[in-house]
Amino acid sequence: MAEDIILSVHDLDVKFTLRGQTLHAIRGISLDVYRGESLAIVGESGSGKSVFTKTFMGLLDANGSITGGSIRYEGQELTQLKSDKDWRAIRGREIAMVMQDPMTSLNPLKTIGAQIEEAVVLHQGLKGQQARQAVLEVLEEVGIDDPQRRYRQYPHEFSGGMRQRVVIAIAVACRPKILICDEPTTALDVTIQAQILQLIRELQKKYDLTTIYITHDLGVVANVADRIAVMYAGDIVEIGRCEEVFYDPRHPYTWALLSSLPQLGVKGQPLYSIAGTPPNLFQEVKGDAFAPRNPQALKIDFVERPPYFDVTPSHRARTWLLDPRAPKVEPPEHIRQLRKQGVNPYV
Amino acid sequence: MAKYILKRLLRSLLTLFIIITIVFSLLRLMPVEGYFQNYEKMTSTQVELGLQKLGLDQPLPVQLLNFYKGLLQGDLGVSNKYHRNVPVLEIIAEKIPVSMSIGLTSLCIALAVGLPLGILMARSTRTRLKIGDKLGTAFVVLIQAVPAAIYYLVIQFFGTSVLHMPLRVSMDQPVTLILPVLSLALGNIAYYAMWLRRYMVDESNKDYVRLARAKGVPAADISRKHIFRNAFVPLVQFIPTSVILTLMGSLYVESLYSIPGMGGLLVTVIQRQDNTVVQALVLFYAAISILGLLVGDILMALVDPRITFGKKGGAR
Amino acid sequence: MPSLRYKDRKTEALSQSVGKTLSRDYKPEEYFEPAPYDPSAGERGSYTNYSYWGSTLRAFFHNPVAVFFLVLLVGMVVFTIIEPLLPYAPEANTIYKGDTNLAPCAQYWFGTNSIGQDLWSQIWSGTRTSLFIGFSVALVEVVMGVIVGVLWGYVRKLDFLLTELYNVFDNVPQTLVVIIISYILRPGVSTMIFAMCLTSWLATARFVRNQVVIIRDRDYNLASRCLGTPAWRIMLKNLLPYLVSILTLRMALAIPAAIGNEVFITYIGLGVPLEVPTLGNLINSGQTFINEPTLNYQLFLPVLILSIVTISFYVVGNAFADAADPKNHVN
Repeated sequence: MAEDIILSVHDLDVKFTLRGQTLHAIRGISLDVYRGESLAIVGESGSGKSVFTKTFMGLLDANGSITGGSIRYEGQELTQLKSDKDWRAIRGREIAMVMQDPMTSLNPLKTIGAQIEEAVVLHQGLKGQQARQAVLEVLEEVGIDDPQRRYRQYPHEFSGGMRQRVVIAIAVACRPKILICDEPTTALDVTIQAQILQLIRELQKKYDLTTIYITHDLGVVANVADRIAVMYAGDIVEIGRCEEVFYDPRHPYTWALLSSLPQLGVKGQPLYSIAGTPPNLFQEVKGDAFAPRNPQALKIDFVERPPYFDVTPSHRARTWLLDPRAPKVEPPEHIRQLRKQGVNPYV
Repeated sequence: MAKYILKRLLRSLLTLFIIITIVFSLLRLMPVEGYFQNYEKMTSTQVELGLQKLGLDQPLPVQLLNFYKGLLQGDLGVSNKYHRNVPVLEIIAEKIPVSMSIGLTSLCIALAVGLPLGILMARSTRTRLKIGDKLGTAFVVLIQAVPAAIYYLVIQFFGTSVLHMPLRVSMDQPVTLILPVLSLALGNIAYYAMWLRRYMVDESNKDYVRLARAKGVPAADISRKHIFRNAFVPLVQFIPTSVILTLMGSLYVESLYSIPGMGGLLVTVIQRQDNTVVQALVLFYAAISILGLLVGDILMALVDPRITFGKKGGAR
Repeated sequence: MPSLRYKDRKTEALSQSVGKTLSRDYKPEEYFEPAPYDPSAGERGSYTNYSYWGSTLRAFFHNPVAVFFLVLLVGMVVFTIIEPLLPYAPEANTIYKGDTNLAPCAQYWFGTNSIGQDLWSQIWSGTRTSLFIGFSVALVEVVMGVIVGVLWGYVRKLDFLLTELYNVFDNVPQTLVVIIISYILRPGVSTMIFAMCLTSWLATARFVRNQVVIIRDRDYNLASRCLGTPAWRIMLKNLLPYLVSILTLRMALAIPAAIGNEVFITYIGLGVPLEVPTLGNLINSGQTFINEPTLNYQLFLPVLILSIVTISFYVVGNAFADAADPKNHVN
């Protein structure tokens, strides 16, 4: 995972218009995605994780638009793409997506086979018997038994986990380079979750995919991610390699997020939860968006937005606490414990 | 599938049986003068004899049984006033083709105009000004809000007074059919357009459409293969309703334009209190409605694989 | 602040604390000092005092078309009620001998009909009758619908019976029922109301039943019950708002439908006797003059009034249903 950048986002701004008001959903994100890596974007609901990745495929809802910044994919500027036709060269073919809810992401009135075949015909250029053969192969590949019979069945004849396999099959059948998995296991039973993650990992290896996971489940992150980006209020507040973010988190929001893990709770004491709610993005955020909820906030957090401070070449965080002028603030005790133990408690 | 249809068919027959029984019994509550042409001049013995002849002096269950016997042999009794002593079935039989052709024509027109209108409206919701959607919605609201009886009159007024089209219909001059067919179609046009638009907008916001976009399916294909097809499925169940709408509308329209169909006939025999014909027509209309709903359900089962999906065959 | 309710107190405390901690006029030299922390300040920004009915009304009154028709509707309804009480209001059925078929003029604002009755008072009297029919039918539909629907949903033994009943009668077009009943019974206003009410409540009952079943089984209500919320409170907070909006819509649509049905039934010859002016009777007698340019005002005036009434009900009902949908309550 050297310097081979496949997707580079710079200072991206996304705004939505809702009933005459503007919602600033993505507030100047910069991010490089390396070829072949697994990147996990974590954050609570409403932090803009999904919206952020939708911009890579031009899938924003009609009332949302990119108002600034750039997204470069393999040297191509994606923010310049306008028409449906332009985007079709990217969607599926270069970047594919697995969505959260397998119960709703398949067309209920088309057979599984037809839905996968659509992708095969579009992106592998196969027709007729060949296309059908490719569909059967990919069904086999995602672990669906008896593909001949399953080919002719409708989504309602599949269980949730099986449907998610079909959705993955569709994504893989596009032969993409990047696979975005938007909460791929949230809607599934715990027992199925691990299988699905395992499947995605295998496919990643086999097809040399770059995967971007969107999740709020740190357990998933610990399992699959090479790197972690922590999002809060439409911004990446901390990004680093998996072990860096887990064992040496620097942003108070990351501390709070890690502290919320039930596994870190002490018996007999109430579970930790972050006080307050994320800011209303209809209003322009001043300073650090997390400041009002942050017990360790500095006065400057209310005045000026912090820049990124590098912790290591691969690890940086957006917090004034890393400024040399800042007082030394220690992370909470149990966060430091994580490092000492040196074990991953999340798996 | 066959099992489902059979079950549905039996239910319809049962329903029909119940409806016939109720309607028949209710009509026995009527004063008996509806069975005679010159009731005022008849003596009470004459009336009694007449009732005896018609079998109306017998207890209700016996009458009902006799009626069912007749029904199975295709005998619905004879008309008493409208065409004296002519079998009701004969009277109705010559009216059916007229009503059928007008009703079906208007239904076809409604589908041919209403569906494209709905698609246009749904497409227009994604444009910035939404002009098509707004105009279409205004039309739909107008048609739905104003009672059919009223816009039939307005169409008649414009057709005859402003455009000078003939008021009376003659079956061998198709031009004269334009106004009644248009009147009948208008309600269904609005109906189909409104529901198709609504379903298409609903469908286009669903996850599977997002996924189809994400896998790079061209927008036109998404509209055609995914959104329209899926939006049309729930619409299928409105076909029977619109058949009923057309039926009920035809009562009014046919007599407005003196069309020699069943609707006009029902209005005439109601006004002349010809009980047997009223009874036969009401039952006939009820039967068509029930049949319409049956056909609708079967169509629905054909287009939507989820409906007949029972417990077996699925995975877990 | 003993008189404030919980919600108000919370808001009060919030606004005070926000004023304290979020004053941003820090001096540059103190920038890197720890800021005072107030846990409740984090609530600011996304905490809103959401009120369902408040938002519904606000959404409704933001719709100028709906407000226009509401005003029109209220105006018309009020006017039809007070019209006979106005000075010099003639009795609707008074016949002015010799003044037949007079076009609208200063004395007869809407003209007179073929037997010399004043159309102005005839039309308002007719509107009154038609509205009465409409309101009665709508009221019966909703009241019967809710009562039967709640029983249907709650009493499991009734479920089978009522479902079968519904399956049978749902097959028969309402117009047909109205025709049969009107044909059998003596014509009159009450017959008409009875005929129209007979089966119309079934659909409402079915709807209410489905809602009750959903309310019983939905996870959020189950959760609410587990937290010890009493049943009446769940009904009040979770069922009622939704139900009220839909029932209002149903009522708003049932009224124009009933008025339209009256016109139709009258045309077939099963309507209210001619001595009672109704919009149906007026339209029916005006219809004879459809192609006589000098006389067709006798048709178009009642048609116009009827259309205004029905369109108003339709638009207001739909606008209210839209406004009552929480999805439209953003902001």
